[in-house]
Amino acid sequence: MPLAFPLPSDLSPATVTNTASLLRIVTLCFVSGAAIASRLFAVINFESIIHEFDPWFNYRATRVLASKGFYEFWNWFDPSAWYPLGRVVGGTVYPGLMATSGVIYNFLHALNIPVDIRNICVMLAPGFSALTAWATYMFTKEMKDESAGLLAAAFIGIVPGYISRSVAGSYDNEAIAIFLLMFTFYLWIKALKLGSALFGTLAAVFYFYMVAAWGGYVFITNMIPLHGLVLMLMGRFSSRLYVAYSSWYAIGTLSSMQVPFVGFQPVSTSEHMAALGVFGLLQIVAFTQLVRSHVSSKQFQNLLFLALISIGVLGFFAMVGLTYKGKIAPWTGRFYSLWDTGYAKKHIPIIASVSEHQPTAWPSFFMDLQFLIFVFPAGVVLCFQQLRDEHIFVIIYAVMASYFAGVMVRLMLTLTPVVCVASAIAFSTLLDTYLDAKEPDDAEESTNVASPPSDAQASASKKNNKSAKPAAATPGNALTDLVAAAGKTKSKGIYGLDTRLAIIMNAIGMLAFFVWHCTWATSSAYSSPSVVLASTNPDGSQHIIDDFREAYYWLRQNTPETAVVMSWWDYGYQIAGMADRYTLVDNNTWNNTHIATVGKAMSSSEEVAYPILRKHDVDYVLVIFGGLLGYSGDDINKFLWMVRIAQGVWPEEIQEPNYFTPQGEYRVDDMASPAMKNSLMYKMSYYRFSELFGNAQALDRVRQQNVPKVGPTLDYLDEAYTTENWIVRIYEVRKEDLLGRDLKSANAFAKGKKRKRSKPAVSRRRSLK
Amino acid sequence: MLRRWCTVSLLSFTLLASVKADSFENTAIVRTIDLGGSLVHVTTTFAVKALEAGSQVYTVTLSDAEKQQTSWLEAKVKGQPDALAVLDRGTDSTGAVHLVDISLPQALGLGATVNIVLETILTHSTHALPERATQQEDQALKHKTGLFVLSPYHTAVQRTKIKSPSPTIHSYTTPENLEDFTFDATVTKSGATLTYGPYNNIAPSANEGFISKHQQPIVVHYKYESPVIEVPKLRRVAEISHWGANLNIEDNIHLRNGGPALKGHFSRLEHQTQAFYKHTASHVIPGITLHLPPGIRNTYYYDLNGNVSTSRLRTTPSVPKDSQTNQYSVLELKPRYPIMGGWNYSFTLGWDSPLEDSAGYDKTKRKYIVQVPVFTPIPAAVVNDAELTIIMPEGATDVEYATPFPAFSSSVSTHITYLDTVGRPSITLRFKNLTEKHALPIYVSYKVPLSAHLRKPMSVAMAFFSVFAFGLIARRIDLRIHKTLTV
Repeated sequence: MPLAFPLPSDLSPATVTNTASLLRIVTLCFVSGAAIASRLFAVINFESIIHEFDPWFNYRATRVLASKGFYEFWNWFDPSAWYPLGRVVGGTVYPGLMATSGVIYNFLHALNIPVDIRNICVMLAPGFSALTAWATYMFTKEMKDESAGLLAAAFIGIVPGYISRSVAGSYDNEAIAIFLLMFTFYLWIKALKLGSALFGTLAAVFYFYMVAAWGGYVFITNMIPLHGLVLMLMGRFSSRLYVAYSSWYAIGTLSSMQVPFVGFQPVSTSEHMAALGVFGLLQIVAFTQLVRSHVSSKQFQNLLFLALISIGVLGFFAMVGLTYKGKIAPWTGRFYSLWDTGYAKKHIPIIASVSEHQPTAWPSFFMDLQFLIFVFPAGVVLCFQQLRDEHIFVIIYAVMASYFAGVMVRLMLTLTPVVCVASAIAFSTLLDTYLDAKEPDDAEESTNVASPPSDAQASASKKNNKSAKPAAATPGNALTDLVAAAGKTKSKGIYGLDTRLAIIMNAIGMLAFFVWHCTWATSSAYSSPSVVLASTNPDGSQHIIDDFREAYYWLRQNTPETAVVMSWWDYGYQIAGMADRYTLVDNNTWNNTHIATVGKAMSSSEEVAYPILRKHDVDYVLVIFGGLLGYSGDDINKFLWMVRIAQGVWPEEIQEPNYFTPQGEYRVDDMASPAMKNSLMYKMSYYRFSELFGNAQALDRVRQQNVPKVGPTLDYLDEAYTTENWIVRIYEVRKEDLLGRDLKSANAFAKGKKRKRSKPAVSRRRSLK
Repeated sequence: MLRRWCTVSLLSFTLLASVKADSFENTAIVRTIDLGGSLVHVTTTFAVKALEAGSQVYTVTLSDAEKQQTSWLEAKVKGQPDALAVLDRGTDSTGAVHLVDISLPQALGLGATVNIVLETILTHSTHALPERATQQEDQALKHKTGLFVLSPYHTAVQRTKIKSPSPTIHSYTTPENLEDFTFDATVTKSGATLTYGPYNNIAPSANEGFISKHQQPIVVHYKYESPVIEVPKLRRVAEISHWGANLNIEDNIHLRNGGPALKGHFSRLEHQTQAFYKHTASHVIPGITLHLPPGIRNTYYYDLNGNVSTSRLRTTPSVPKDSQTNQYSVLELKPRYPIMGGWNYSFTLGWDSPLEDSAGYDKTKRKYIVQVPVFTPIPAAVVNDAELTIIMPEGATDVEYATPFPAFSSSVSTHITYLDTVGRPSITLRFKNLTEKHALPIYVSYKVPLSAHLRKPMSVAMAFFSVFAFGLIARRIDLRIHKTLTV
């Protein structure tokens, strides 16, 4: 057999295996290092700080866990959230993340390594991303081989789709969940392959960990049964499937019910019914198989199949009936929005108001996955080539995850691992083909030509697989190449070094651009803590805009400890975490009415809002205003969602169209609608804003509109604090007038009195300037 | 330098203090009160004539209020750099005044004269009046003191000068019924200075009779144009590391604006307008500038919400230990928000400095000696409650320490950190009412045997070795119940 380039021939097989094994370990170490290092942009550019919104709650809960112990955390009732309702944190939280950090914290402290809990929380996501790379390696290894595994590990290590949720400081459930997802899948595949109850149990244990860590565990709960069902429908039922599935389902379900937040959901809600149904079906099929092995009558078999189908149908109807009766909870709204993207906007504005619940825009696929998104279908197609049980899993996973990723931006995260796995399979097949030094000799080629059916049959064996690789397509187009290979077109083979080099250089180029893109996307798009903003000084140095922490720290240091702060729910966790004050609503959006109450207070006039504020003991109201700096994520831009959510509960008091101009525009300038101008939110945002500009026209830099020269006045609130760049504005709610007047007239009276006396006041003001 | 007048006072309580009134005569007493915010400096010069040969112990007195407010007291012979030994003798037999004995360097002969300068710093002796001020208003403080300097000796002439930091003095007491001492105006004001006296021919005044008859309070209400900085709590941890050749100092500082509380609310607009016209209100703390030691590294400044990005640091390289250069690193701290009257701000500040800059080795005693400053002086601020913890290296023995002034309380404990096995000895000292003058070093000395140095690498090596040994054995143990042929 001719070779395209010389290969060393005097190596013993042991040397080759040992070197390969060493190279694998070293490569995995480097991949882990790269995975961790690329997530540290956030720490290097800013500091070791918890990012965004939800992580602040997780961090706060972890601090409770670390300082007071697990049982205290388990029974933690937090009176400061959802004032005056409070929140039973232990029962309404997925504790896996906090427990993980707590275990690490206690372990390190047992070794007398005094690491701050904040640093553990910040570094948890990068640490687990290294583990994810390893789990993906193991998973892909089961699909193809080690080299594909290493490629998959490298892809998942640096792919922006995963980095976006796991940079240092992004202390959220997803940080550990993706590792658990991949590792559970790996154990499931392993269990299925070996028919091993041990691996099935291990899969169940990690499934339990996943249930404790992330609400997305439902994805596993449905993926594994779906895989089992498809295998059964394809006539691939085996005792291995039976053992693996039964051990996983029984132990996994029982253990998942130990998480208080999940409770009896695995046996009572629709999302979990598929797993139960497949479990039942599996028992029936197994029973049938057993009977069939003992009875040979063909009619009896037919009868059994009939019975099988009728039981299946009956079971389905029973489930529908139970759902109808209310024994089984129907699908939740968040679930419906997965099928109908318009559902949430119509029925549950609070879900639609979250940006990560929006449908994905197509450029974000490229942004998050770059060239992997092109190679991914090729990898899926390659899975059809051998179509072992585990390949079916990848195919199902790819189809399901692609759909969900298209529906919700957030679910891009679940697509990313399978994209990496499939791309790695495709890419490694490509490299295998073109790095192989063997050239087809004419004899082999002639047999191939002579007997195409045998070629197709033997395609599972590796050697022929290679010879089946086409060179028919142009060497530059690897993709068509691969697709053609999957389609088993007739081939001639690859001759010479130049064709090989052309493909390999191209492939390396793609990989290099991928690394460059990942680095760029990570450093520029995904590494901002969003608590701290950065801008660039004229001299090129970084300027930190730290208004959020300024305001929260002011609240923490200079207000009473029991002060109640009202803000839109986005900032609830941050206020609780950084300012340590009572909040009305927060990012755990469980009580729509309470949120709507805040929305109503914000969108009503002062007179209407004041009783609401007083009834809820609100001491301070906090709004985010970006008009001075051009910070677009401010409350005026979110205002319409407040109006919509309030309208959902009080449709006759709050109406969205009132906040638009008659022409249907959303304006904040002189043309703004009266409802807009009188709303508490508008008044708090623009209070004394125009005075800042002196005689010049005041400009709102976010909306690019000129703010009215005479700003709004406040009778029921006092400005308590405004940050350096005016991003956070805090108002204190006045107490009732001591003389029993309403505050508006009391204020007018006080002002009038001043005005009467105020001939000297003019000179007083001048003296102050 | 050791002035133990604070602690010794406890001992001397039992001795019934009395003073021989006829051993000295004050030919003149001049007291100068420099009014300030948190601190008030009082310098009293006693021109003393000995009426008896061999008199060496001169006694000065402090009233009850003065005793409580005095955080620093130092006596010198005028023109000489060395401080004199002082001894607090507690209240006198009648309970009217506190007596402090000053030992003169040598006994005076009959009729010999000496000028003694007594310097004290009072803390918490001023109060904002009015107690609340808006963002635009000025700040005014009130200080109260006694008209006469009480002395157990006869005084020929006495004068009190009160220097205000600004010429705007809103009001001051005009003492009356002083016909016994003067026929002129009892008080004169020129510019920013008030002068009470001269008052002539004052009988020994440190007794109840005189106090009830003649002593009267004088109150000065003056404009003060700097913020009143108060540190209610300061906690410093100094960790000595021999392996890292490092002295890490971490300060936990709770800062407070002790001026008039903010009336109404803070308006950013007003604040920015004032800043624009360069006319920031005088009682706002916009930031503080600290002088840190030279040669420091890894300086950090954060609060409960993370790094404070608004600070600036200029470091200078280390200087040789015995050189007299006055070099320091400058840290300009800017809090997250301007600290208005009554507002709080707590933060953490820390740095590493080379250990050789502050440590030495005593070959005769085989001991290391390390100096640790009690605190970093914060200009014109009073530290109400300071706690200093010094952590020695692991395995240090024979720990001794010497403080420049007595600590309020002290305790010894064990601190366990960074892979320690037995922990590190640590000393915790507490102080009250510290001023800039108290920023002096504490000297700690200890022995570290070689075995203590090697303890950590040995324990870490042992831990790793046992893990590897376990792995070595675990790989070779087969726990399978029955061998299966797996593919």
